[in-house]
Amino acid sequence: MSLVEIKDLKVHYPIRSGFWNRVTDSVKAVDGITFNIEAGETYGLVGESGSGKSTTGKSVVGLEKVTSGSILYNGKDITKADNRRKLDYNRDVQMIFQDSLSSLNPRKRIEDIIAEPLRNFEHLSKDDEKLRVLQLLNIVGLDADALYKYPHQFSGGQRQRIGVARAVATNPKLIIADEPVSALDLSVQAQVLNFMKKIQREFGISYLFISHDLGVVRHMCNNIAIMNRGRLVEIGTREDIYNHPLHIYTKRLLAAIPETNVNQRAAHRASRLAVEKIYEDQQSKYYDEDGMAYPLVQVSPTHSVALPETIAKQLASQEGEVQA
Amino acid sequence: MAENFEQHSDISAADLARLNQEAQAEATPSTAKIIWNEFKADKPAMAALIIVVGFIVFVMIGALFINTPKMMETNIMDYFDKPFTDGFWLGADSGGRSVAKQLIVGSRNSIGIAIGLTIISSTFGIAWGLVSGYFSGYIDWGMQRVYDFMMMLPMTMMIIVLVTIIPHYNSVSLTFIFSIFYWEGTSRLIRSRTLAETQKDYVAASKTSGTNHWKIIFKEIMPNISSLIIVDCTLSFAENIGVETGLSYLGFGLPNQTPSLGTMIANANDPSNITLYWWTWLPAALEIVVLCLSISYIGQVLRRAADSSQRQGAAD
Ligand SMILES: Nc1ncnc2c1ncn2[C@@H]1O[C@H](COP(=O)(O)OP(=O)(O)O)[C@@H](O)[C@H]1O
Ligand SMILES: [Mg+2]
Repeated sequence: MSLVEIKDLKVHYPIRSGFWNRVTDSVKAVDGITFNIEAGETYGLVGESGSGKSTTGKSVVGLEKVTSGSILYNGKDITKADNRRKLDYNRDVQMIFQDSLSSLNPRKRIEDIIAEPLRNFEHLSKDDEKLRVLQLLNIVGLDADALYKYPHQFSGGQRQRIGVARAVATNPKLIIADEPVSALDLSVQAQVLNFMKKIQREFGISYLFISHDLGVVRHMCNNIAIMNRGRLVEIGTREDIYNHPLHIYTKRLLAAIPETNVNQRAAHRASRLAVEKIYEDQQSKYYDEDGMAYPLVQVSPTHSVALPETIAKQLASQEGEVQA
Repeated sequence: MAENFEQHSDISAADLARLNQEAQAEATPSTAKIIWNEFKADKPAMAALIIVVGFIVFVMIGALFINTPKMMETNIMDYFDKPFTDGFWLGADSGGRSVAKQLIVGSRNSIGIAIGLTIISSTFGIAWGLVSGYFSGYIDWGMQRVYDFMMMLPMTMMIIVLVTIIPHYNSVSLTFIFSIFYWEGTSRLIRSRTLAETQKDYVAASKTSGTNHWKIIFKEIMPNISSLIIVDCTLSFAENIGVETGLSYLGFGLPNQTPSLGTMIANANDPSNITLYWWTWLPAALEIVVLCLSISYIGQVLRRAADSSQRQGAAD
């Protein structure tokens, strides 16, 4: 059994209007996605902004009311608030937010911010609690004098580390990391990612790592799901996604990875434009008549893609993959 | 589990006291401290604060030493005594009653009502706005329909009707009657800020940290809109001094034998009073002007101080 099993998850936001506040339409932020997260692994969820990644992450951590489908944590459906309460679910499943400034209450001192989950879930003595907070600060590489300061006194990278410290405070099993480094400078990104990896090794945590950038995900994730307009278009191992991408959307994301080597910028740009052109020309092949992704079909034990069966098989054999 | 943290950090219980002390030395001043420093730096603001606080304390205590029923007795011998005659510092009115004493007791009554009204209506309005904005959905929708209904009622007319049909009312019941109609503006203001605040990730983080809704509303969100609350309360207070005064002036405020700033200014209803017996109404009018100006000046400084701590909060 996997740590988390997401089955046909749908989150639709109703659009209300008129005096009686009736539902007149809905935004299908997440529209039927299925994947599993194993204990101890980092699972990547990648897609353009607006594709429903954050909504998925928030559903898993219990912040979003799901429309239908289920999320099983150790076999229990945690889409019901009642089950979450009984399990003390958020003691085990925590979140790191994209915007580190907005995710730390500007009116609270760092000690109170990091201790918040401890106070609700662990009820330590005052000294034990302070000690734990100091240890957490130390683990994420911050000094003790951070204790009585406010979030605005720290840099973006430091704040994100405070967010990491809060998320690991109760020693959780799973952390949803929603674009944890997207708002940071490149040099700081690597630093925060390294802390996250170190913590994963030491505490045996699983991550659901959300990103819009396949470049960042490459160094973090074993398994990756590609999300597009509320649906998954491709699932596979790192090898499957980076070396044998099948869906045009995945190829487009790969082409969008920024090229750091100055000498190859021109070539990179040309290949990106080529992919973009194919994307424009072949949309009808990769999406159904409503412009939505097809259901996933399996092309190898680890690799699935959202295409009609025949096309998927054909593409897979072109790519030289071993058939299931 | 605690071992897990012991093992992976270099800090153990032995370091606790030392590190805590180091951290304390680096602690950042609180918002209250920032506001106080702002007052210390701004001399006119300090003067305004001293005037308002000093005056309120003076009339609250002074009124205790005045026998109101005796003061309100008519004494025909002192009819419109000029200031500084017969021992009347500020003269006497048409009933021969001391203007100075009426001013003290009247200020106590008017300011007392204004304070009570501000506390009740602001508390209610803030709570209403916070809850409505935080929960959104059906709760918000229902609470907003109540708000719409209250806003539809013609306020002044309702107060006059209520005051007329309630047989024996005094400053306390009057305060409550006013309060019914004075929380709406605050609630709307607070709700719109709460709607924005609730979207921020720190609220989501509090939820995933296991904090319950009420704690999130009053301990996480409310401190973040404290500058708005402080400024709104100060301005409401200045405005509320005018509320009672206005109605008493029209003759629908406190009963006749209860002096207030409004009943004193009502002396100006008589054209001959306005020019000939100016001392019967001018001190009360001046007092209101000075108080309201001082309070709104204090409000401005509070806003500036709160904003600067907010700015520091937003700065990188
Ligand atoms: N509370 C909400 N109400 C209505 N629509 C929403 C809400 N939250 C997100 N959406 C919509 O759902 C879609 C997916 O959003 P999101 O999950 O934030 O995407 P991502 O994280 O991939 O950028 C977007 O089109 C967004 O506008
Ligand atoms: Mg997002």
